[in-house]
Amino acid sequence: MRRPARGRRRSIALLAAAMAIALPLVATTACSSSSSASSDSKLTLQFTGPPVSLNPALGGNGLSATFTALSYDPLIYLSGDGKLVPDLATAWNYVGPDNKVFEMTLRHDVKFTDGTPLTPDAVVASMNYFLKAGGGLVSDAGPVESITAVGPDKVRVTYKSSNPDAAMTMTQYHGIGSIIGPKGLADPQSLLTSSDGTGQYRYNGKTSLANNRYDYDKNPGYFNPSAQRFKGVTIRIIGDPQAVLSAAQTGQVQFAAGGSTTADAAKQANLTVLSPPFFNWTLIVADSAGTVCKPLGDVRVRQAIAYALDRSGLANALGGQYASPSTQVLLPGIDGHVPDSGYGYDLAKAKKLMAEAGYANGFGLTILTESLLDRNTTYSQAIVEALGAIGIKATLQVESTGIGQFSGDALSKQYPAIIFPTAGVDMFQLHNQISAGLFNPFDNVDPQVESTLAQAFATDGADRTRLYQEASRRYQDLAWYVPIFSTQNLMYVSPKLSNVKASELNPNPVPVAPTAELAWHGK
Amino acid sequence: MVKLLAHRIALSIPLVLLVSMVVFALESLVPGDPARTVLGQSATPENIAALHQQMGLDQPWIERYWNWLSGLFHGDLGTSVFTGDDVVTELNTRLGVTVSLVLCCVIVSAVAGLALGLFSAVRGGPAARVVDVLSLAGLALPNFWVAIVLVALFAVKIRLFPAIGYVEFAESPGHWVRSLVLPVIALSLFGVTAVAKQTRDSVLDVLDTDYVRVLRGNGVSESRIVLKHVLRNAAIPVVTVLGVVAVSMLGGTVFVEGVFVLPGLGTLATQATMDHDLPVILGIGVYFTVVVIIINLLVDLAYGVLNPKVRAS
Repeated sequence: MRRPARGRRRSIALLAAAMAIALPLVATTACSSSSSASSDSKLTLQFTGPPVSLNPALGGNGLSATFTALSYDPLIYLSGDGKLVPDLATAWNYVGPDNKVFEMTLRHDVKFTDGTPLTPDAVVASMNYFLKAGGGLVSDAGPVESITAVGPDKVRVTYKSSNPDAAMTMTQYHGIGSIIGPKGLADPQSLLTSSDGTGQYRYNGKTSLANNRYDYDKNPGYFNPSAQRFKGVTIRIIGDPQAVLSAAQTGQVQFAAGGSTTADAAKQANLTVLSPPFFNWTLIVADSAGTVCKPLGDVRVRQAIAYALDRSGLANALGGQYASPSTQVLLPGIDGHVPDSGYGYDLAKAKKLMAEAGYANGFGLTILTESLLDRNTTYSQAIVEALGAIGIKATLQVESTGIGQFSGDALSKQYPAIIFPTAGVDMFQLHNQISAGLFNPFDNVDPQVESTLAQAFATDGADRTRLYQEASRRYQDLAWYVPIFSTQNLMYVSPKLSNVKASELNPNPVPVAPTAELAWHGK
Repeated sequence: MVKLLAHRIALSIPLVLLVSMVVFALESLVPGDPARTVLGQSATPENIAALHQQMGLDQPWIERYWNWLSGLFHGDLGTSVFTGDDVVTELNTRLGVTVSLVLCCVIVSAVAGLALGLFSAVRGGPAARVVDVLSLAGLALPNFWVAIVLVALFAVKIRLFPAIGYVEFAESPGHWVRSLVLPVIALSLFGVTAVAKQTRDSVLDVLDTDYVRVLRGNGVSESRIVLKHVLRNAAIPVVTVLGVVAVSMLGGTVFVEGVFVLPGLGTLATQATMDHDLPVILGIGVYFTVVVIIINLLVDLAYGVLNPKVRAS
């Protein structure tokens, strides 16, 4: 074969090579002069998935509360360090004994987006709508009997039984306290494309794109303009942990939900890593009557399970410095936690208890788990492995399609044990959570826990702490809930952002606050 | 040629029907329940049953499919189970992102792949071997790894491009280009290497034919031979490969859009599947099928332009 002359070949080859490198070069030069799209006075946050709903009556809790907290002021604000601060309510107190009637005094001169003033009637209508709307947070509100307007500026909530936690339920995390205006209540569907609260920002459905970005513009009618520290706020939905880290490192987002796999890199990149304890990973021994799995009906078997887990080893192996062993239903620092108490790791005692119960050779157990919070079910697999030490041959049933499906599976009463985290910042919340739904599919009720807590809820101060601790110990003896380790809620904060605080009493801070001193701001 | 196109378009109708039917059947095999997903953790069996009825999930399979199909003939793909938005509107707002991404990738694959392939074939020697090795490396490297490395280098280390996000062309053409550079490189690496390899092989084949020797014998210039005659004849298999690459890129968008947080059809497909949002999944199926049909039509048209025999048939 005759090849082309060398010189000509070279010129064609050079032309080809030039084309190959020209394209990216054109792209690079075309944009090297342009700058970042975000301006300093706008805040961009990251969240892992789309909001449960933008309607606060149907919305979610945890960090997802930010979606609604930006537009809807709560009656009472929970600050990052866990203090209750006046917001739409300037004062509150229980009326009479037993913590059954709770009264709040409303702030004056507050307006909804359409200029309608905040009145006791409007607040009552919003709270009643919440109770009927069918959202996932209804049980958080406590046993509400009635809500009434009292005089020109007061709202009174009456409970069927004692609720020591009324002020906490009115904060931005529990739905009932996030007040929706009359215009929004008249057309709840409109709350998905625009907001009708009194909050610092207004949701802008026109520039937002579902599952990608949620934009909020400054509310010109907000009651305390000095607390509005940003021109606007955007929440970007980024699920991939590596993409979250890159976005935080490059400053495209100033606040992001982190994870233990990227936390070290975030620290190296000069981001502040906040890590308040949050999830209490628990093996829920739901079938305590032994309906599906007979051995679990014996308290000695449940206690043996609690003794068989090497919590320090598991916490260290699974979460490193971002996890701690957990021996009680309440985490340290929360009212009702009993210092130096709970189940330790004692394999000999566990085996002895199993033998006493007649199960020295163990038994088979199916445990329901999910792979959304327990990524790749690494936690669950480690727990199953640990149970093998006392002869329990556990198999996992993994639900990977969503927490809703998981909840449905749990409630089907087919699974005697479940792995899922609890998360409560006080005993009232925790008890509400674990005594119902997927945490208690077999409807276990212990009269002793109920009566101790009923007394506790009707009192306060040192008496309440003593009773809460008594209930904690009782939960421990029952071993229906076997806490294993707590994981921290990791959050990455840009060095350009100030005043972001989180604590065990509020592991999910929001950027807005009713006073300038508490709100996040740029440096 | 017109007959061929008409034939292809006629064939595309049963194809859309078949794909939608397969998607419908496959979705029904995915474990889980859309009503439960919508209602969340605190759903009661009564709420779920009521929503089933409202969503028409209690109807037989064939009836639900027929309802969807009759909507399709009126250009109505229904509403999203999860957000309540109109599916056509939802897909159209995201179509631009995916089309921008795929179109840029096809252009980059075609230009860079042709250039590299031509360089390798014409130049020969060690330089060509280097290009061959690079091509093989491009085929071997997984695009998710390439994407992560690109972000680490050109977004985090050297702040040339944004790590995430998409800017509309209408909003700012400069930012639009910036937001697409890294995703396009990550997604087109396979295309560039596939086209380069095919170009090199085809060009070498054509360079070996008698008519090239005749042209050379008649004193036609080398650049004219390569650019006018060889390239044209070598182009048909290259166009075929480019068509295949373009179609495979649609699948690639699902991943690349996720890593770079681009609001395209790929991310929507992932989210809709997680949510059991059947109307959206079916809508995406139809859109992707139509895009594949259009790509194939363009490939056929390109054959016609390149090869007179196709036009005559």
